[in-house]
Amino acid sequence: MEDLAPRIVKKAIALGCQDAVAEIVTNRSYQIRFAQNEAVISNRWRESTASVFFVYKKRVLASDIKDLSKTDEAVERLVKIAKTSQENPDYAGIAKGPFDYARVRPDPKVLALDEGGKYVEAAISGALDQGAKECAGSFWKYEDEHALATSNGVEGRDHRANLYLSIRALVSLESSGHGIACATKLSQFDPEKAGQKAGRIAALAKFPKSGKPGRYTVVFDPLIFGSLTDQVGGRLNAWIVMAGLSPFGKKIGKRVASTEFTLSDDGSAESIARKRFDAEGVPTRRNVLVNKGILKTYLHNTSTAKKFRTKTTGNAGLVFPDPHAIFVKPGDRSRDEIFSDIKDGLWLTNTWYTRYQSYVTGDLSTIPRDGIFHIQKGEVAEAWKDIRLTDNLLHLLKNIVALSDKPEQMMWWGEVGVPNFVPYALIQDVGITKSAE
Amino acid sequence: MDTEMDLVDFAVDYARKKGASYAEARHEEQEQENFILKNGVLDALYVGHDRGIGVRVLVDGALGFAATNSRTKTDVRAIVDDAVKVAKASRRKTKITFAHEDAIEMNWSVPEQRKLADVPVEEKIAEIQSVDRDLMALGFKIPARYFQLSDNRIVKHFANSEGSRIRSYSPRLRTFYFLTVVEDGESEQTYRNYGWSGGWEGIQAWDLGKRVLDEARSMHRSLAEGKKSPEGKMDLVAGPQVAGIASHESCGHPTEADRVLGREASQAGKSFIPPDGIGMRVGSDVVNVVDDPTIEHAIAYYVTDDEGVKARRRYLYKEGRVSEFLQNRETAAVLHTRSNGASRAVNYNVEAIVRMANTFVEPKDYSVDELLEDVKFGVYMKSFMEWNIDDKRYNAKYAGREAYLVENGEVKHPVRNTVIELTTPAFWSAVDAVGKDLDFEAGFCGKSDPGQALDASLGGPTIRLRNVYLR
Repeated sequence: MEDLAPRIVKKAIALGCQDAVAEIVTNRSYQIRFAQNEAVISNRWRESTASVFFVYKKRVLASDIKDLSKTDEAVERLVKIAKTSQENPDYAGIAKGPFDYARVRPDPKVLALDEGGKYVEAAISGALDQGAKECAGSFWKYEDEHALATSNGVEGRDHRANLYLSIRALVSLESSGHGIACATKLSQFDPEKAGQKAGRIAALAKFPKSGKPGRYTVVFDPLIFGSLTDQVGGRLNAWIVMAGLSPFGKKIGKRVASTEFTLSDDGSAESIARKRFDAEGVPTRRNVLVNKGILKTYLHNTSTAKKFRTKTTGNAGLVFPDPHAIFVKPGDRSRDEIFSDIKDGLWLTNTWYTRYQSYVTGDLSTIPRDGIFHIQKGEVAEAWKDIRLTDNLLHLLKNIVALSDKPEQMMWWGEVGVPNFVPYALIQDVGITKSAE
Repeated sequence: MDTEMDLVDFAVDYARKKGASYAEARHEEQEQENFILKNGVLDALYVGHDRGIGVRVLVDGALGFAATNSRTKTDVRAIVDDAVKVAKASRRKTKITFAHEDAIEMNWSVPEQRKLADVPVEEKIAEIQSVDRDLMALGFKIPARYFQLSDNRIVKHFANSEGSRIRSYSPRLRTFYFLTVVEDGESEQTYRNYGWSGGWEGIQAWDLGKRVLDEARSMHRSLAEGKKSPEGKMDLVAGPQVAGIASHESCGHPTEADRVLGREASQAGKSFIPPDGIGMRVGSDVVNVVDDPTIEHAIAYYVTDDEGVKARRRYLYKEGRVSEFLQNRETAAVLHTRSNGASRAVNYNVEAIVRMANTFVEPKDYSVDELLEDVKFGVYMKSFMEWNIDDKRYNAKYAGREAYLVENGEVKHPVRNTVIELTTPAFWSAVDAVGKDLDFEAGFCGKSDPGQALDASLGGPTIRLRNVYLR
């Protein structure tokens, strides 16, 4: 398997392709899912895939080859299909290598970890100690190896291994909290703390009352603020902008958020999504996307960059650009100071199901879940339930008035697709609606 | 005997030797072709040939699962060892058991009038380009057009340690489109999803060209003539797309037994229906919502599920009451019942869990005109854009895309962005009449971790709700 990626590229070029990329990904991940305070299933994977990208006279074809014992036949078949396809006039090539990559290696202690039961137990104990009765979630040891080759002189390798735990703690159906633990080093992995946070919120959320619609000043806990910033990262993908699926179209150089808000994407920084290169082999780097509220750039691969007359940001996926890891520049307030600013407002801890009425305008709604709290004079007055955040993405960003000083790494099923490093955020004039009975 | 069946038999036999009290193996081969036509340009063609084997074992009352895309006996032995090892490490206090099922040996396949494999990719691309050309010929300003056509040919081999051995073939065809129409600086957006189990004949069955043009015309009219939607309590006539999403979100999901029992609590959530909630009233007497994997040509058609259990129609809500949960063998054992064949996985490399298939409001006998004729004041919402629901499936929102004011039984001008924001019982209890114009759309239903976006159909006839709050 050592030389498989360059061999696939060479074969595709020999068959007439102008550009070819092959990335061999070997997945050795391990997961424990738990519910009702114990494991419900444990999963382990042994998979190797060749993700390929071939271009014949601007006819673009992508594929995943799973039978690695017959890659020559697969490449021949794929190139034949590519030749029958149609030109993409927007296709502008792949990055020219070779490149130098950062020397980063996974933590040997994470690599050696073969059993995660004690981390699940630590998280559950942390939640139960705070008063939770029922816990559910997932522990993950992610491990994958990547070997990349392109027809433009790129050859790269990357070995990635990380730990992740997500826990939801419940006191009852309507009183719950959520906690997340992410680490690239075993010594930094703290599932108990995640369990404690989930349990603490769940206990605080007991006996919730039906919420009241209106417009509120809201403290966004890092998990729900991460959902919001994940939306921003995703909607700044240049391909998504071109498809009419973003409110950031034609807004480069314009104000899209308050001056408090600076957002970057950085695949090279320490995170559970750290990677040495993108799908074209371009070294990952920090790209400031929004600087003090002004939109600076979209996320690009070589083709979208040409369309927008700029350079790739090193965010190529197999076909489309993708964010790697989103970083919000922290503010200067402590968490307590953020709360003390609220006379009459809300504290939201998590959300899901963010959906748009219009991607172009950014009109959306999302359903807060887990602890929802009515805050008065900086303190929790009561727990609420059954509300919906109904607003506009740009309006929310423009009404950020303060950020806390300690960002946390958040990633969560369905809502926070890549790691988002986010602090607590204070946002004014947030629309809250609720169902009619 | 074919190689794949030999391999699943080998995995099951080896798992039993390693101490599994129950073992099953599923080999899947998926041949996929899909492309995106964005603003008239073929963006990329994706061709996939995915195959591998997953093994699930029950050891000491705990479940282990492992998967590989290598098909050598050495590697299959390794994943069985993995599955047994991780199951043993679980140390469960409450032992998992499976509800009884008789062993099945069968082959089944979905017929194709014209095999998907025989249709050249050029023809598929030309079909969608033709729709795109007709769309542009309307002369509307449509700055963002996005069409996706995909097909997937799925061959499964399943065996378990109780003697079930099943081979199946499911060809599936899907299209998705997304449009942005602009008029006088205002825009409307839409997306639609259609699915088909069968061959290339599905493209004709959808009548895609007409549907896309009708949708664009309605968007243009809404922008040109649309007015603010009225606010207050009034009648609502909801078209098949709205009935479909409501049946999926507020009937299908809350009756998934794994959600009811808390197995999905951390991700997809739980349910407002408790484990002893069979018989609980959630709607009016005219509301029957079913989930049925045996609807021919629906995208989630199947004969046996991924635990080897025969599929059948399930009444989720019957005459307005919770009638049946969707069950797999694990949840059925907990609830002292039998599986109803609802266990599915998106591919070989993930466990099968409780899933919906084709979920819809059971039609009755009203025509759309009859539903509208005694509405004094209300809204006829034919389709929606934004929607969401909370994780206990109680608070839902559907925001209108194509909607019209109704006065004294007459459909008047378009109204824009009508919002239905109701609890599940408030929505279903307000239904007083159900139409006969059953129609389906396709969707991807998301659940589990790792996430499994699975083929599903959502459907229904037009339904009428009395005196509900809209804005």
